[in-house]
Amino acid sequence: MLSIISLSIFGIVNLFLGFLKSRRILLPATLLFLIVALILNSMDWNQQALYFGDMLRVNNVFVNFAGIVLITALLIVGISRHFGNDEEHTHPAEYYAILLFSVTGALMMIGFENLIMLFVGVEVLSVAMYVLTGTDKRNIRSNEAALKYFLMGSFATGLLLFGVAMVYGATGSFKLGGIASYVQMASMYGAVSPLLYVGLLFLFIGMLFKVSAAPFHFWTPDVYEGAPTIFTAFMSTVVKTAGFAAFYKIASTAFAGVYGFWAQSLAVMAVLTLLIGNITAAYQGSFKRMMAYSSISHAGYLLLAVVAKVPSSQSAILFYSLSYSLATVAAFGVLMAVSESRQFEGRGDDRYEAFNGLAKTNPLLAFVLTVSMLSLAGIPLTAGFWGKFFIFSAAVQANLTSLLVIAVLMSCVGIYYYFRVIIAMYLKPAEGEGISVSAGFTLTLVLTTVLTLLLGVFPDVVKNIF
Amino acid sequence: MQNQILYVWYLLTAVTILAALLVVLAKNPIHSVLSLVVTFFCLSAHYVLLNAQFLAVVNIIVYAGAIMVLFLFVIMFLNLREYTEETKSNFAKLGAAVVGGVTLVAIIAALKKVQYPMPMRYDVRTGFVETLGEVLFRDYLLPFELVTVLFFVAMVGAVMLGKREKGERHF
Amino acid sequence: MNLAILIPLLPFLGFLINGLGFRRIPKAAVGLIGTGAVLGSFAIVLSLFSGFTGTAQVVPVYDWFTVGDFNVSFGFQIDQLSLLMMLIITGIGSLIHLYSIGYMHHDEGFGKFFAFLNLFVFFMLLLVMGSNYLVMFIGWEGVGLCSYLLIGFWNKNPEYGYAARKAFVMNRIGDLGFLIGIFLIVARFGSLEFASVFPAAAQLQTGDAGLFWITFCLFIGAMGKSAQIPLYTWLPDAMAGPTPVSALIHAATMVTAGIYMIVRSNVLYTLAPETLHIIGWVALATALLAASIGLFQNDIKKVLAYSTVSQLGYMFMGLGMGAYTSGFFHVMTHAFFKALLFLGAGSVIHAMSDEQDIRYMGGLRKKLPITFTTFLLGTIAISGIPPFAGFFSKDEILAHVYEHSPLMWGLAVFGSMMTAFYMFRLLFLTFFGEFRGTHEQEHHLHESPLTMTLPLMVLAVLSVIGGFFNVPEILGGTAKLEQFLDPIYQYARQANPEAFAGVHLDHSTEFMLMGVSVAGAVISIIAAWVIYISRKSVPAPDEQVSGLQQVIYRKYYIDELYDAVFVKPIQALSRFFYSVVDKGGIDRFGVEGVGRFVKGLANEFRLLQTGATGFYVLMMVTGIAVILVYSLRSLIFG
Repeated sequence: MLSIISLSIFGIVNLFLGFLKSRRILLPATLLFLIVALILNSMDWNQQALYFGDMLRVNNVFVNFAGIVLITALLIVGISRHFGNDEEHTHPAEYYAILLFSVTGALMMIGFENLIMLFVGVEVLSVAMYVLTGTDKRNIRSNEAALKYFLMGSFATGLLLFGVAMVYGATGSFKLGGIASYVQMASMYGAVSPLLYVGLLFLFIGMLFKVSAAPFHFWTPDVYEGAPTIFTAFMSTVVKTAGFAAFYKIASTAFAGVYGFWAQSLAVMAVLTLLIGNITAAYQGSFKRMMAYSSISHAGYLLLAVVAKVPSSQSAILFYSLSYSLATVAAFGVLMAVSESRQFEGRGDDRYEAFNGLAKTNPLLAFVLTVSMLSLAGIPLTAGFWGKFFIFSAAVQANLTSLLVIAVLMSCVGIYYYFRVIIAMYLKPAEGEGISVSAGFTLTLVLTTVLTLLLGVFPDVVKNIF
Repeated sequence: MQNQILYVWYLLTAVTILAALLVVLAKNPIHSVLSLVVTFFCLSAHYVLLNAQFLAVVNIIVYAGAIMVLFLFVIMFLNLREYTEETKSNFAKLGAAVVGGVTLVAIIAALKKVQYPMPMRYDVRTGFVETLGEVLFRDYLLPFELVTVLFFVAMVGAVMLGKREKGERHF
Repeated sequence: MNLAILIPLLPFLGFLINGLGFRRIPKAAVGLIGTGAVLGSFAIVLSLFSGFTGTAQVVPVYDWFTVGDFNVSFGFQIDQLSLLMMLIITGIGSLIHLYSIGYMHHDEGFGKFFAFLNLFVFFMLLLVMGSNYLVMFIGWEGVGLCSYLLIGFWNKNPEYGYAARKAFVMNRIGDLGFLIGIFLIVARFGSLEFASVFPAAAQLQTGDAGLFWITFCLFIGAMGKSAQIPLYTWLPDAMAGPTPVSALIHAATMVTAGIYMIVRSNVLYTLAPETLHIIGWVALATALLAASIGLFQNDIKKVLAYSTVSQLGYMFMGLGMGAYTSGFFHVMTHAFFKALLFLGAGSVIHAMSDEQDIRYMGGLRKKLPITFTTFLLGTIAISGIPPFAGFFSKDEILAHVYEHSPLMWGLAVFGSMMTAFYMFRLLFLTFFGEFRGTHEQEHHLHESPLTMTLPLMVLAVLSVIGGFFNVPEILGGTAKLEQFLDPIYQYARQANPEAFAGVHLDHSTEFMLMGVSVAGAVISIIAAWVIYISRKSVPAPDEQVSGLQQVIYRKYYIDELYDAVFVKPIQALSRFFYSVVDKGGIDRFGVEGVGRFVKGLANEFRLLQTGATGFYVLMMVTGIAVILVYSLRSLIFG
């Protein structure tokens, strides 16, 4: 609870820091704020509490998800490097402030106990993302992406709200507990109102849009590609983690009683997401666009855990989110460094070719990206392997055999496109000079790599917490 | 009495839907905006029927008043009277109509058997500012406060995106 | 702390030291650290082996992870089987590390090479030491990764990169099977520990359907790693790597992981005779196909590669007959002589200034006496001439095959005749006759340094005497290996005693079988002598090869077939998705209808973009409509 309050205050403080002459203070200040929030968050460990008339529930699940979101945000701020050296045109104070606000929104989505809170959280996070997507104002792609995201995001929010209203109409409650007890009673007597079903579907569709699951994924590649890379990293990690935290919470508590109703459609969507994400990713020429499709495919794996809805699903989602976030931050970090120093057609080069021979010029960056790709592909001894393993074992427990087969097959397809960049780095001749990066940037990337490998070797350390 | 209200409701709803359709279908943007104003007025009337007087007033002030006027200003300033040429193919229109129609029919068909409970009792004070304030500041205090974060983000974002900068490309 | 933990840890430390500081550590130190680490492990394995009491022991390292009440620990299993494998890996591993000091001396990636090699040894040790299927799987994946890194080690040539990728993809297909097998084991037994799966399996009936699928999936894993049909084509291409890598990974150790895994899971396989049947036929087909391709290859390493595939086929044939010890015995002897042959080939290539085509060699006997002698011993060993190592191990397999089906035996003997032929063809073309290379190469010819010849000599000795570890009773031996390995079949014997009844052939039949196979080998050798020594014929240049020979030389066009059947369609599918979903759908949707409205290119782009968002929303709403109608079908239509 304190973490949410402190973050909203820190965001405002950050805006005021923007008045200072020296912008050098912004990055350390934001890091400090996030660390404070992380500490405040960890103080809630083993506290079971409901705040403000059942609006927000703080428990260990909240602390875990919030921890992942905060750590991811920390890492992303760590690689932000004052948002480029073109300081005349950028507004770092605003960026950092909006970043902090959006984390507030994410925490609301994680801890909500009332659908109103969910809605406000989703909106805070989404509006922040619309703005951040369009921050590269001189880039027409960024503008276009922001507008596209905004249009479609508003559409999805409308659906979400429509769903919330109908669920309220059926159950007379916004609270998860109230909805759950209605659903349980009504399904016991076989008298579930059709309003609930329709509302549930719209609510789910709204959430599926936010986590970019097929067939609501169309915005993802364009937006991810158009947005400045640092915010793409933020979008594909924090938004996804928070989205799945909220999605799983609502599916496993409020609507657990009608599992039979939604499980099948969701399973079909999970399959669709896996297929579209993986197969299309295999045919991308741009690394950034590939990462967008890869993020769709990872939504598919996470959906698998939601569909399974067994007790171990939750810790599987937690572990997967953590491993995915670490690897994704590293991947986008390296992409940022590479595309800033290598130009193609007048802008940052985010094609695979940009990575040619990186192992020769910058072995460390190449290694970081390799570990990240291995983790995303789910190769053993990386965190990503255990993420997939836990998700798959949750699916096994729920007897989702056919789904599992598709997921495993698709993870093999994943190897193909993740390895393309590794091949480019190690086997292609180098083009251009080595890339110089700052110490803080390198440190952050190395940190993600070390964490990925540590989690790969000792998964139980974190798994026991979840 | 009951029946008369029902007739009013039917009339209002028909006008609302018509006006909303006009917003989308009108070729002249000014007509669009004006229809939107009509739509908002109709919605406010619905609020009144639903015993939410305060919301009805606020809706008119904020949406029909402030926001719509802003819209009109923008349209006139930019001189968008000349509507751009129709860009959607008939095929696309047909597809959109079919898909939208199917969705609508599906929702209606699914909801045809819903039993709507009658309200327990009628309290004229439900829609008063006082009641609303009590609910907002007691039950929904946290979301109410956190909505400010949302507004803050929107405001900061709008200012930041709207500010013209050196070297900005115009297209 | 148990000493066993140090065994994989030492190579890992070597990897860390060499890997992190490979630019700063001097070459001499790199070689010393890399070789010393493996040698240290070898010493520990030896001490464990000498102090081994005969009872299997599980060394827990730490609790790995827990899912519900399913717990997997990271632990090592020390028993007869893993000890022997560890001896092979660290023993031959240290020899090959030593050899690499000389072989890779001029390479700029010297430190990186040793780091990868140490990492490989680490993963290979994990694979054989793991006390459950998951640790085994980690090792399994790890060796695949190292193999990939080392095949593509000389990454200046893009061909090598493709070879590496091919190896990786094929291995992944196999690994998928392995992984599914592991999941099936979890589903069936609720555990992955050998110590709890095997006793539980021993209670099951022979021919259990679940076991069939488990063993079959595991075998798919073995197919990938141990290069059996249809997943064998990566191994010949893997010869792109440096020769010591081919010797260590693609001949002696990694490719035998599949055999190790099946021997380890002997309980499961004994209870699944259908799988064994499949293994037997797949193995026979692989052995014959690879041997026949080997007949006409001209690259010295390719010949050895196909020979490896073929010999792996023999090992699996042994397993398929339920003769686990015979299969494993062949793993041991094959490790000796194939490592020797590869290192010998490396020595030749080294002397020939990186020439690998045997058509440009010849007469190297006098220039490279040590290499020649050791290579000769290795060739005799692989051809199955008594009393060299290959004779004993191959003969045991053949005896089991005969008992099973004389037809298969006949084919297998035919395969071993081909083996003798192509091996001696290789020997004659390389070391006999006139030198056919350039003058420069001739001038440069030299015997390799001691670091390279010493491993050759040690391995040559092992290739000669290796067979005596398991001399069958009929030849006056006591089958030591068989007795030593006996405890690991305890559960299998308990579950299905008939499968371990042993060979029921009378002595005269056995002698007859041996006689036939030796005679076959000798005939092949004479044929090779006649063609390549007496008539001095040299294989024609590539373009003059035609007919059946061309088909064989081109490896039966299997690569092209795979390309047409698997690679192309997947690419096409991917392109289809790309063009229809990503580009074409939007394009067509926007452009065709808009057609006449298009004014200029710029305008078109703008129109296209607005069209795109509309298209996206349309697709989304379509999705919503489908979901609604499907999910609410009972409400809508009811």
